[in-house]
Amino acid sequence: MTDIQYTPRELIVCAAARLLSDGESVFVGTGLPLVGALLAKKLHAPNMMAIYECGAVDPEPRELPWSVACSWTCYKAPIILSMSSVFGHSRAGYADVGFLGGAQIDMYGNINATCIGPYDQPTVRLTGSGGANDIASLSDRVIFMGLHLPERFPEKCDYITSPGFLDGPGGRERAGLLGQGPWRVISHLGVMGFDDETCRMKLISYHPGVTPEIVQQFTGFELLIPDDVIETPKPSEEELRLLREEVDPNQLFCF
Amino acid sequence: MTHANERLFDHKAAREWKLKKTRAEKDKRMSLKDAVAEFVEDGDSLIETGFAYVRGPMAAYFEIGRQKKKDLVGIFTPGGISTVWHEFGGLEGAHVAYVGVEMRGLISPFRRGVEAGTLKVYSDWSHGALSLSLRAAEQGVNYVASKSMLGTDLMKSNPYIKEDRDPWTGEPVCLIPAMYPDLAIIHVHHADKYGNGRIWGAVVNDTAIAVAARKVVVTCERIVDSADIRSNPYQVIVPHYCVDAVCEVPYGAWPGDMPGLYYFDRRLQEKIVRTLWKTAEGTKEYYEKYIMGTRNQYEMLAMAAEDEGVNAIDYVKQLEQLACDAFCYGMGSWGVGGEREWKYEEVAKRLI
Repeated sequence: MTDIQYTPRELIVCAAARLLSDGESVFVGTGLPLVGALLAKKLHAPNMMAIYECGAVDPEPRELPWSVACSWTCYKAPIILSMSSVFGHSRAGYADVGFLGGAQIDMYGNINATCIGPYDQPTVRLTGSGGANDIASLSDRVIFMGLHLPERFPEKCDYITSPGFLDGPGGRERAGLLGQGPWRVISHLGVMGFDDETCRMKLISYHPGVTPEIVQQFTGFELLIPDDVIETPKPSEEELRLLREEVDPNQLFCF
Repeated sequence: MTHANERLFDHKAAREWKLKKTRAEKDKRMSLKDAVAEFVEDGDSLIETGFAYVRGPMAAYFEIGRQKKKDLVGIFTPGGISTVWHEFGGLEGAHVAYVGVEMRGLISPFRRGVEAGTLKVYSDWSHGALSLSLRAAEQGVNYVASKSMLGTDLMKSNPYIKEDRDPWTGEPVCLIPAMYPDLAIIHVHHADKYGNGRIWGAVVNDTAIAVAARKVVVTCERIVDSADIRSNPYQVIVPHYCVDAVCEVPYGAWPGDMPGLYYFDRRLQEKIVRTLWKTAEGTKEYYEKYIMGTRNQYEMLAMAAEDEGVNAIDYVKQLEQLACDAFCYGMGSWGVGGEREWKYEEVAKRLI
């Protein structure tokens, strides 16, 4: 077999798509998650029900849309509600998975999408929450996707926009939050989960060409590395073909 | 004159204002220029509608730029284009749930303003929380108790919300008050001359916004007969009694997406977002060339077409070909007033 070539973003998207199951409902945030959700639907999860914050539920999106609200995303949706309604439906229990990106994620799975540096005088002002906080607060469990760098995986986020386990075990319950919280983190170096007892981020698999040591080097906190970590399977030819030909044919995002 | 923020949660004053609005079926048609001159006042809080670049009233925002309105306070759930006026004195502060262009990243003029301390972020929200704030106004309740934002820094940096205990279960809840912005401009597919507005695609927050806001300007792709609206009221998202002015502005959401009619002007958007807005100089060039250098949406369209070396009519036809069919938005056709070919002619007429 010839060696399959792929970009870091393609690997992230393929690894993330595998985590979505057929028949689940997934609240999809913008950016990489949108690409992952479109790929999963074309691969193994044709009956996955996507929810978008503009109000569209279960559409059949065309190739990579520009926005989670645009007409390519909402295409053929059987119902288009309002923003407050779809978040209400999540809180009611209709969102199994929240699928998110962000600028930073810390050891307890808290996510920052607001600012780098102090809030009042930020070095970088980011977009703000958008639907991210609601997706993380109201879905049953949460998948995060992003690039893996020490400053993007700090011990503590500069600002907590979306809740993970907050300050650790019991944090969500004390704050009054619903849902199980963070479940998986996909980066271009590996797939992470969270330790049941300590709620700290742990490595589940490292991507081809990477070692657990490299993943640790690019993480700004001590990553738990269990003995049973494995190598992430490479993207398959079928995954890459669908991604390149049907999901993102113009290589707008998975460059 | 009080600051816009002092009016934002004043439910009594908002009610008094609305009690004075006319309920009569009055012909509210006027030019966009006149509507912006009359209803957009310096210092107003302006809530963006649609989903920023999807069904957003772009032509109206450009006109606000041309008329050099001052010190607006933006409310962004989400928001986009009007953050750009900050560098020309148009935007003084913002209440933010989201300001960005999704996969294309941040809106640089907004970022520069906040980082330099010249653009104030008065409050940060989640989309869910801000949409509930508007929904509370629409539903006529003082506040709602939500499970969003709990435990996060949003609770600390938003001065308008409170954490409390649910009186029944004792659980923590986030209390979100009803919000009443000064002004909303809503772009729809069809409207009658009284202001009843009909759309295809996602309403996002617009029905709540229409009821919450004090002043509402409707811009539409096409004015249709009131009988057309009354024969199919199910996609009407803005009721006439909320509306102060109706402006027919074909291509009013360009360069954004208008579901079923035309898709994002992707090349122009890429150029603006990824190049021009990245620097203050580029933003000034954009402002002077596209906004101040044109008198209306059609001159701007013609300019964009000329940049690409294309005839303006061919240019809009290309955008139309990317649009999704109307039948995918809940109707078998465009309805009584909705045949597709009229637009080229309308745009052509206005281009002459």
